[in-house]
Amino acid sequence: MGTLVNAENIRGVYYTGAKDVVAVNDVSIKIEEGEVLGLAGESGSGKTTLGSIISLIARPPLHVEHGTLEIDGQVQELGGHAKIPRTWRGAVVSMLPQGAMNSVSPTKRIRHLVYDVMRSHDGKISKEEALDRARDRLTTLGLPARVLDAYPHQLSGGMKQRTVTIISTLLDPRLLVADEPTSALDVTSQKILIEMLLEMLKERIMSGVIFVTHDLPVLRTAANRIAVMYQGKIVELGPTEIVVERPEHPYTQALMSSVLAPEPAYANTRIEGMSSFDRSLFDAPAVIHP
Amino acid sequence: MALAKYLGRKVAWTLVVFFVALLLNFLLPRLIPGNPVDAIVGAMARGGGVGGEQLEQVHQHYMAEFGLDKPLWQQFFVYVGNIFQGDLGTSFANYPASVGSLISQALPWSIAIQLPAIIVGWIVGNLLGALAAFKGGWLDRGAFIGSLFLSSVPPFALAIILLFVVGAQLGILPIGGAYSFGLTPEFSLAFFGDAITYFWLPFWSLVLVFIGGQAVGMRSMAIYELGSDYVNYNRGLGVKEGHTVRYIFRNAMLPQFTGLALSIAAIITGGLIVELVFSYPGLGTLLFNAIGTNDYPLISAICLLITIAVLVANLAADILTGFIDPRIRAVQSGER
Amino acid sequence: MSLRGLSPRFWVAAALVAFVILVGLVGPLIVSTSPDATVGGLYEEPQCCGALILGADNEGQSVIANLVYGTRTSLIVGLIAGLIGTAIGLVVGLVAGYRGGWVDDVLSAIVNVGLAIPVIVVVILVSVSLPQRNLYTLALVIGFTGWFWVARAVRAQSSSIRTREHIDVAKLSGAGFWSILSRDVLPYLLSYVVMACILQISGAILFESTLSMLGLGASNTTSLGTMLYWAIQWGSVRTGAWWAFIPPTLMLTLIVFSLLLLQSSLNEVFNPRLRRGRAARKRAKEAGEELEEVPVEGADAGPVGATGVLETPISAGRGEAR
Repeated sequence: MGTLVNAENIRGVYYTGAKDVVAVNDVSIKIEEGEVLGLAGESGSGKTTLGSIISLIARPPLHVEHGTLEIDGQVQELGGHAKIPRTWRGAVVSMLPQGAMNSVSPTKRIRHLVYDVMRSHDGKISKEEALDRARDRLTTLGLPARVLDAYPHQLSGGMKQRTVTIISTLLDPRLLVADEPTSALDVTSQKILIEMLLEMLKERIMSGVIFVTHDLPVLRTAANRIAVMYQGKIVELGPTEIVVERPEHPYTQALMSSVLAPEPAYANTRIEGMSSFDRSLFDAPAVIHP
Repeated sequence: MALAKYLGRKVAWTLVVFFVALLLNFLLPRLIPGNPVDAIVGAMARGGGVGGEQLEQVHQHYMAEFGLDKPLWQQFFVYVGNIFQGDLGTSFANYPASVGSLISQALPWSIAIQLPAIIVGWIVGNLLGALAAFKGGWLDRGAFIGSLFLSSVPPFALAIILLFVVGAQLGILPIGGAYSFGLTPEFSLAFFGDAITYFWLPFWSLVLVFIGGQAVGMRSMAIYELGSDYVNYNRGLGVKEGHTVRYIFRNAMLPQFTGLALSIAAIITGGLIVELVFSYPGLGTLLFNAIGTNDYPLISAICLLITIAVLVANLAADILTGFIDPRIRAVQSGER
Repeated sequence: MSLRGLSPRFWVAAALVAFVILVGLVGPLIVSTSPDATVGGLYEEPQCCGALILGADNEGQSVIANLVYGTRTSLIVGLIAGLIGTAIGLVVGLVAGYRGGWVDDVLSAIVNVGLAIPVIVVVILVSVSLPQRNLYTLALVIGFTGWFWVARAVRAQSSSIRTREHIDVAKLSGAGFWSILSRDVLPYLLSYVVMACILQISGAILFESTLSMLGLGASNTTSLGTMLYWAIQWGSVRTGAWWAFIPPTLMLTLIVFSLLLLQSSLNEVFNPRLRRGRAARKRAKEAGEELEEVPVEGADAGPVGATGVLETPISAGRGEAR
């Protein structure tokens, strides 16, 4: 399995007039073919910002000062005033935003969005063709085809999230960046969504997923590797088991120990909140597991 | 099906409001202490020119018409009954002319100005507002300030200014009336050509203000929509801007429809005053004269007409919104 | 909310409003002529300085005197009617939204009927029936008929606030109905109430001038509207006596415009998403974190300006019919 995406030296800064906030501080990361990479961290760690930079949707007040993205041998400059080709969005790297509820215009049916997405990338495609492809995709992944005729408010939360996931991957993107896809869902819907994502990976609909979340237990079931971010930098990166069970960076340790896990092994462990840790320890150098 | 239910509810509601309006229209003028007919006849007598016997006739006529000898609730039924037969009563001041005939003479003139003003104003105003929102920059700033100013100017103020500048000082367009003295209204090209010159100033007074209002509102809505999640999502999927614009338009338009209905009342009111300024022989001048002569039947009838126009406009806007916004039909009881 | 957050537009609007208030308050003190005194002939032309600086009107009275007294009258009527309207609408909306249940149903039905019937009609009918009209009865009538849209919008907001946690806390600690309304619900609505009040006032001023032009104005005092009424009655436009109608027109326009400008600039302060530009977006980001955004039903939508102000300046919400 080779490297799917190579993101290098990304620096993202919010220009806020008064003070500039460095959200992503010279981060480099590789995503391997066929893997789900979890991007974890607390609010303000920069994980969502990094996700939006990689999915090519960064815009003011967020400025990408420098960075490159390499996919399939093609290098895309992200920094300064780089022009990002519109067709890369959705077809090469695609996004699954937070809160699918609001991501579809409430006054149009799902099939309109599907058609618009497809014909923005292939001007010659007919409406029938576009909808047929969407229908195939829906049935392959276990959703009823009638979803296409619905308005957003007619679908349940879990249904909407899965529908949006399918729309985001209609063009078979190489990489899908999913931002908190499970946060607004109940546990059952979460499970179904994660299974769908893994199924899609298996079917090679997309070749890699970045799973951005603050919800650590979810990553245990969903991710192959986990990258932990703190204050704009990646402080630990490694296979899921290691990061979750034998973390080496003080911040990761603090993070993991503050999670409630209803398993027998933890029944006798004490939960230490984050505040009981000395934050200065978190500035320790990053730990990258092989 | 949901749409039919929604429409049914709206129509039923309109009828209820209409009934309340009828009630108000009936009751309010009758709250005057004393017998209105005596007051009118007394005024006519003082004015001279009407002899004793005629006064007696007038008095009897109105007593019968209003049924003032009957109890109040019976009067109401008489009133409603008359209305539905199209009988709006007899004018006090222009006795024995019927209110209906007076109104039917004035109404077409008012509609001729207001309907085009509303349609043109709404379309142009919304386009301008949307354009300003999308383009941003100088066009936006200029259009916004200009529209805000235009929309804040009361229509009659603009009318007065236009009248003075264009009509009186520059003498380009005529300053009063609806057609040249000596001509009679008819469906001929010549008459139309003449009447049009009288049409412009009142029309522009209304249209410009309305454009301003619509542009400001639409601009706000469009800016609001531009920051929406679905716009960001569309961009993230590489959807062409042109496609997204259509989504934005559709969503931004919705409140503009409701807004249109709500401002119908204000436009009509503004139109009435504009007519006054230009001595334009529409409902405005008619109402003005009626107030001046305390011509209750006429005042009452014009008010009823205005009410009906507003109710119909609101119903139309509701119907339109129901078609465009699927969420409306889904909402169950909610407000009512 | 810091003073830094106020845009130049706000300051311009505030300055204009202050100017107008000054004319109305201080004007009559400076202009020593009484508006009813005859100072000149019919439509005598303006001459420098003194009572005839803006000429005389159709009764030979000083235009400048009438102008400042008229401004004062219009402002007073606007203020009284505006405050009454806002107050009634606020109370009705708060009670209806917070209480819910049958109280809400009844109040909402009343409000909806009130919204559907054109106010001008009711006011004309009432004014015509009044035995005598002075500016206070006028103000009362305008105020008592103009509160419906405020009630509607306030109700929407207060019913959404009702579900918030701090209300439960207040209830648990035994606070009474009115106490909760005034101390826990009202503060969130304050920004909206201020804007609504401004719109009410400017609407009332316009309304009064409309009524006066129709001949239903106050019979014993001058207002800007009555000045225009007489100007039209006596054909001053035709005869070119511009001093009879241009000053009141300009003054009225100035008042309405400045109030609406004030309202729109405040709207941008309270509704961060409407702002544009880099620095503005920064303020928006900060504000977005600080302000508890109460979901206002389309506070920034709907008819704006003179055409909308007479009826319901702030329309029904996005995606929701009346």
